[in-house]
Amino acid sequence: MLTRRRFVRYSALSSALLANGPLLCSTFGQMPTKRPLRLAILGSVYRLGSALQTIADRFMVGYPHDGEWHMPEVQVVSLYVDQRIRKAEARPTEFQQAMAGTLKAPWLQAGPGLPGAQGSRRAAVVPPSEVAQHPPEELGPMSDLSESRAHQFGFRLCRNIPEALRCGGNRIAVDAVLTVVEQDDYPRNDRGQILLPQYDFFQQCAQVFEAEKHAVPYFNHKQLSFSFSEAQNMVKTAERLKFSLMAGSSMPVTWRLPDTDIPMGARVQEAVMVGVGSLDSMGFDALEAMQCMLERRKGGESGVKAVQLLEGDDVWVAGDEGRWSKDLLSSALSRSDTPLGLTWLDGRTQDLTAPGILPQLVKDPVAYCIEYTDGTRATLLMLNGAIRDFNISARVTGHGIVSTQFFMTPAPNETHSACLAAKIEQMYQIRSAPYPVQRALLTTGMLEACLNSKHRLNQRLETPQLAVSYQPPAESQYART
Amino acid sequence: MAPKETSTKRPRLAAVVTAYKRMLHPQHIVDRFLEGYGVNGVFHHPEMDVVSLYVDQRTGEGDLTQERADRHPQLKICSTISEALTLGTGKLAVDGVIVVGEHGTYPPSPTGIPMHPHYEFFEQITKVFRDSGRSVPYFNDKELSWNWDWSKKMVDISHELGFPFQGGSSLAVTWRVPSVEFPLGATANEAVSIGYGGMGSYDFHGLETIQCMVERRKGGETGVEWLQTYRGDNFWKAYQEGVWSQALVKAALSRSATLRSGNSTFTNIFPTIEQMKAMVPNPVAYHYQHRDGLRCTMLLMGGMVRDFTFAANIEGQSKAFSTQMYLPMPDGRTTLASFFTPLVYNAEKMFLTGKAQYPVERTLLTSGLLIAGVDSDSQGKRIETPHLTAVNYQPYPESSYWRS
Repeated sequence: MLTRRRFVRYSALSSALLANGPLLCSTFGQMPTKRPLRLAILGSVYRLGSALQTIADRFMVGYPHDGEWHMPEVQVVSLYVDQRIRKAEARPTEFQQAMAGTLKAPWLQAGPGLPGAQGSRRAAVVPPSEVAQHPPEELGPMSDLSESRAHQFGFRLCRNIPEALRCGGNRIAVDAVLTVVEQDDYPRNDRGQILLPQYDFFQQCAQVFEAEKHAVPYFNHKQLSFSFSEAQNMVKTAERLKFSLMAGSSMPVTWRLPDTDIPMGARVQEAVMVGVGSLDSMGFDALEAMQCMLERRKGGESGVKAVQLLEGDDVWVAGDEGRWSKDLLSSALSRSDTPLGLTWLDGRTQDLTAPGILPQLVKDPVAYCIEYTDGTRATLLMLNGAIRDFNISARVTGHGIVSTQFFMTPAPNETHSACLAAKIEQMYQIRSAPYPVQRALLTTGMLEACLNSKHRLNQRLETPQLAVSYQPPAESQYART
Repeated sequence: MAPKETSTKRPRLAAVVTAYKRMLHPQHIVDRFLEGYGVNGVFHHPEMDVVSLYVDQRTGEGDLTQERADRHPQLKICSTISEALTLGTGKLAVDGVIVVGEHGTYPPSPTGIPMHPHYEFFEQITKVFRDSGRSVPYFNDKELSWNWDWSKKMVDISHELGFPFQGGSSLAVTWRVPSVEFPLGATANEAVSIGYGGMGSYDFHGLETIQCMVERRKGGETGVEWLQTYRGDNFWKAYQEGVWSQALVKAALSRSATLRSGNSTFTNIFPTIEQMKAMVPNPVAYHYQHRDGLRCTMLLMGGMVRDFTFAANIEGQSKAFSTQMYLPMPDGRTTLASFFTPLVYNAEKMFLTGKAQYPVERTLLTSGLLIAGVDSDSQGKRIETPHLTAVNYQPYPESSYWRS
């Protein structure tokens, strides 16, 4: 795989850099005994509005939490941004520039003592100081903000992941890792999955942890990988090396309207979740939000035995056949604040489940049908064109229908990710994840299996690999205070 | 889901509104009765019928009156308020009245408050009540009147004729994030709300945000002794001098989901006061003291926030008590102004039970505070408010905000 090869190269590069003394300088000498937690941030792209910017900034400037502007006891000490390195790598080398006559390096200007030859030795490694520095007010909306943040908050911009963990020294010099890998220009496979390198990021860290016999808490934003087997490997590695691994999106931990959860230990017969967005990215968030409620059912999570992804008219036919409950759909949609269609036209309220409306509004409906091992059924309906928010409804024995909206707060603030930042910080401080990584693992697997079903012409697929069992946290973990 | 037809007992309602166009208050409110709406996890059809509709201003583009009447045959368009209430019978022929006096085009008062016709509607409606020797529950959206004497008179007449009278802003009944209530009987010494919009309009929402909370304090509502409005440079001077608590402002802003960043390369960062000044061109504060010593400040900081938040110091709590009164605003964030849902749901409860779900004295006090705020601004000084010291009432112990 393209991304994998790229990372192997970075690893080689990092070894070369470690051997090259002058390029290294430790930013940390003596530490006070009660120092803030040192954080390495690894991500794809640090641009205004990127998930990395939205989440990572919170560890620098604080975030709204529990009625206060909370400043974490965290110091960001290093940052690795994949896009910067890939761009630098794609740029002509100094040698190529010199050959093309476009190199403007001062040592090639006419004058005494022309050193010349050293230039090409530095190849694709562009030290951060050579990236043009812009005062923040001159940065455009698509600008890379890494440089500006590094300046403002005094941390090290790194050329590779091991360097970010070691902060230029030869031992791990961080207490925790935050990774936010998101789409920039990574390729897709034939199933439409973006080949995001979460696994590669993780493996590089795990290699350093293992080599030094010292591992630190690790947060992975959203799915563990596009591949369930890689995800399993990540969870096993974390268990073997005994470090806290936490993963997932903001949706399970954000506010709910109303403030409600599945009663712990209740029998859940069926759930219907409605959402919007891309199959791959928002599909994960919606499945994970659904999972964080369903895992509370009697017996805890026992895994998924089969999935099927339906598309087009088959989605409506499945509703007519009772494969997903229209009552639950109606209940979930009653929580939406974003109905389109006639509401958009003249403001009126409308029951979107009245005959004919949804098929008219939703041109490309998708249903992720999940059959749990214990018989609970769940369906995620992606209804692009009908709504713009995420709502769930579940039939719970003895409790009737439980329904709510996962409150995804507006851009640009996206304060829902502050709810996530609080959970990440908690994990760093107590070195234990507030909810099990198996939730993200199972969700990663459900998503991959659903996309496999799509690839196999929407066949129902048995999923013996998804026999993932775990117990939910005793307390609900979404924002309530 | 409620069945559409049950018995002949379904209450019949008259709607009396300013203008019926997309996204105006009358559309949001009356549509919910006509079309149903999502609440409590179902698409709910109110067990009552709007049978008549009076629209004060049907001019201009986008009038939806006829479209609604065409689809709802039981709805009769009436050319007078009296007709809407009597349905041609010569006496009161409905079981409840929905009044929406917001929006439409009405000239400003001498102090600049839009002269919405709440009182004029009220006079005509209560004339039918008097002439018929019978009164029915009355819902009044937002404030009572732009004129204090009229506001007071409306409440007095409701007591005299003995009909349930309920109104106010959706801010008092909408979702709270987090979903918390001011502890009944708690002692508080200071409270703030932070919102946006302008004087004579959204200030009412900010005032209701505070009042629906602080009325639950120990002893209930005691009335307001004085009020001072701060704007422009005076606002920032007062802010920096601590006329109101900066800590409470920070607590309230920590509940905002729309706090604008003062720095263009960040998306969620707490602004400095200099950045606030740059972002908020027309800040407004109504700073006032209740008779029991409670000090409240309603802040409008448009340009910096697009939501309403609340914070108070409550005795015995280690940190500020705070929440956001969440408006799912259809300004791009949503398509449906769902905050009208709890307003209508509480109105339905009143029509069904014959009991107001929260005290109209709250709305009387907030209507009076709005007028006092505008007066203090036009006079450029703190004003005494003896008429507001007389507004004393007890809260309803049960919360009426949206939480299910």
